Amino acid sequence: MSRVRAIAVAQLRLFGRSRLAVVALVLLAMLSAIAAITGAAQASRMAADRATAQVAANTEFANQPDRHPHRMVHYGTYALRPLGPLAAFDPGVDAFAGSLIYLEGHRQNATTLGAARESSGLIRFGQLTPAFVLRVLVPLLLVFVGFAMIVAERQAGLFTLQLTHGANAGELIAGKALALAVVAGVAALPALAALGWSAAQSPAEAGIAALMALAALLWLGLWVLGITLVSARARSAQSALMALVLAWAVLVVLVPRAAAGVAALAHPLPTKAETDLIIHQELRALGDSHNPNDPHFAEFKAGLLKRYGVSRVEDLPFNFRGALSAEGERLTSQLFARHAADTAAVQMQQHRLLALVGVISPAVGFAQASMAGAATDLASHIAFLDAAEAHRYRLIQSLNGLHTYQVRGADDAARNKDPIAERQSRVSARFWADQKPFQHAGPTMADRMAGMLPGLAAMLLWAVLLSWQLVRSGRQEQS
Amino acid sequence: MIAALAREWRLLAGPARLGLIVLAALASVAVALGLADAAATRADIARVGALEARETQSIAAFAKGDAGEFGYYRNFPVWRAPGDLAFLAPARGDAVPAVMRIRILALEGQINDNETANPELLLTGRFDFAFVTLYLAPLLLIALLHDLWSGEREAGRLAALDSLPRARHRLWSPRVVLRAGGVALALLVPLAVGGLIEGTAPLRLGAAAALVLASLGFWMIVTLGVARVHAASATQAAVLAGLWFAITLVVPAAAHLAINAAVALADAAAIARENREEVHAGWDRPKAETMARFVALYPAYRDQSANGTAFEWKWYFAFQQLGDDAVVTDSVARDAGIARREAWAQRLGWLLPPLKAAQTMQQLAGSDVTADLAFKTQVRVFHRRLREYHYPYMFGGRPMDDTDVAGAPDFATFLSPVGTNGTDLGL
Repeated sequence: MSRVRAIAVAQLRLFGRSRLAVVALVLLAMLSAIAAITGAAQASRMAADRATAQVAANTEFANQPDRHPHRMVHYGTYALRPLGPLAAFDPGVDAFAGSLIYLEGHRQNATTLGAARESSGLIRFGQLTPAFVLRVLVPLLLVFVGFAMIVAERQAGLFTLQLTHGANAGELIAGKALALAVVAGVAALPALAALGWSAAQSPAEAGIAALMALAALLWLGLWVLGITLVSARARSAQSALMALVLAWAVLVVLVPRAAAGVAALAHPLPTKAETDLIIHQELRALGDSHNPNDPHFAEFKAGLLKRYGVSRVEDLPFNFRGALSAEGERLTSQLFARHAADTAAVQMQQHRLLALVGVISPAVGFAQASMAGAATDLASHIAFLDAAEAHRYRLIQSLNGLHTYQVRGADDAARNKDPIAERQSRVSARFWADQKPFQHAGPTMADRMAGMLPGLAAMLLWAVLLSWQLVRSGRQEQS
Repeated sequence: MIAALAREWRLLAGPARLGLIVLAALASVAVALGLADAAATRADIARVGALEARETQSIAAFAKGDAGEFGYYRNFPVWRAPGDLAFLAPARGDAVPAVMRIRILALEGQINDNETANPELLLTGRFDFAFVTLYLAPLLLIALLHDLWSGEREAGRLAALDSLPRARHRLWSPRVVLRAGGVALALLVPLAVGGLIEGTAPLRLGAAAALVLASLGFWMIVTLGVARVHAASATQAAVLAGLWFAITLVVPAAAHLAINAAVALADAAAIARENREEVHAGWDRPKAETMARFVALYPAYRDQSANGTAFEWKWYFAFQQLGDDAVVTDSVARDAGIARREAWAQRLGWLLPPLKAAQTMQQLAGSDVTADLAFKTQVRVFHRRLREYHYPYMFGGRPMDDTDVAGAPDFATFLSPVGTNGTDLGL
């Protein structure tokens, strides 16, 4: 073991003498620092902006004057997607997923906002975040630093010389790999420090942050193993470099994009406009609230009259119009929920296809694991959409409840003609303040950890494969 | 020359040939995906149009000629039809919808709606022709040309080759022409086929091809410059890969951070809330006040009044418009901020030719930020056209008969050259 360490130390000295390697490492450290600092600043500002906007929306709702409850159904409120503390490390899909939804009666609105719509086209080139540094930049740096470490010595005859002096090929390879692993650790340090700093801000996140750090180290470990392997097997330093740059370009740049293209093609998503139109169509088949003779609503009315043993809606012990609104909302929301579930199912199919590709390219697996850990993945976004819709439905039905039980039917019927009835159809403002504001804590810790598993498994599989190949290479060199 | 090229093709190593073939295959797949995307977007737009027509019929059944009912319930599709070069960098599945439905109600709450896209796919980026040309092709070019001289030197042949009479003309030029030309052909042939299938205007197709050549030309000059330096082929490869990496990945990402930090935008959530406050305050304000403010904007309806308790559509639509009016300056200024961010990115493009090539390709495809913003402007103008078409019915109390309903502005005719003359675009 001490010999492995000695070889590693000697190799690290060699790395230190290479000007290219040192300059690249320093540049990377600077980029990492920029990514970490701006990432932390941006994420905390965005998180604060959203929290402020959520409070403003809640306050405005609570401060509305005495009103007819149905007016509040249309006034609605807003839900903002909260940003967890680890988003500073990996903002994930945040820039591409809308962060604001307007919640109102009768409608399920699209999300709005999102950094992708308010930035220059440069955002399509990728965002400089600590996670991006670890996923994309550090592996290429390791390629540049380590491609020649074994093959160059063999080309110069040094490798054989060392073997004839009693060195063990396995130990030599292990020592080189260890030296490259140290470089990887140093290169990853600023990004991991950023992760640690984010976790320190909220200790509850420490466990998942540690798992994310482990995923990052595993990912870089794959590159250490792969680079050592290629350098041990290549015929020339140049061919080692070409093979490694090609592998990087294919695994990190090409395959994820190609997989996304295939996923979009294999599981097409309908447009929001089309889904909305189909919902309208299905709604008309269920019951048309504009049609006084609609069978569904006629049946609903007859059922109520029968249950309360009265012959006219005016004789019901509550306001029939409010009950009708609640029934209409129930029907539309059923359809919203079903179509939202369909959309989410297609998106998750696309996500799973990418996860499968993660077996071919662990870059995809690492990205998915990192985002899942940071609660900035697709599943977190879908969880937010579901929470927003659940809140919308609860709020609207609560307002419809006020309409049913706090507004007298006679006032409600006459409010368009009689100013006094109009006044009396208004409900006290205190009811608005009583409504529970939107709250969404994001996915649970268990869900986030579970989301990391496929990516971790894919990377482990690769680690085993590469280690096995490396051990074989050592044996071949020895004989 | 032909004989020299044929000789160079025979001399080309197996992996290099394979590289060219793979690039041609990737470019072809990218073009095919782009064509499929453009076709799917056109189909989306057509389906929404057809469904909307049916929806309008069912609204007509209960609206019974009431312009207010139409104004409230009727949606009008607006869209961005893919152009004849959309296949280069298609926008299907982007956050910005390719087709959306707008109502005559306050526009501010509608115009920023996102498509139900999968953000994970958007984050990954697209596999399209622009990506193959601007990311992958330079890498292959570098691989083929970086050791043009150092490779021969390391093989011990350089002095002998250079001593051949007219070596430059007979050996090096054909070698560069074959390798760079191979990369160019691998891209240009799929591009040309895509253009033929789409029926792209020859001039625009020529511009796209020129862009491909300009991008390759830049990388060829850089690669040959580095290859000329007396250094080990591995060092040259490392330097070139590092340059590629810096230019296509690091600098744009860092510049994105810097630009967004330098150009602040107004808080969109606050604008949305202000719009809602203005619209809903209309319910609580005296009707006469709302009507007076509206009539100041549209003096033609001076003699219209609304008062009393009864609900009136004209008053409702008047305060919808006042809500938009209250925030339109902020909202347009915010879009101008986004345009400023894009302008900075474009300026950076002049320093980094590959970036400029990417930006220009997005422009040709119609999927750049400027096109997004132009679409928003079109929608604002179209929304105004729609409102003003319905106002005489709402404010004059005139019923809308079937011809009036059918005669409402249509985005298709709005988009035709006659529909978008310059004077209308002033907001």
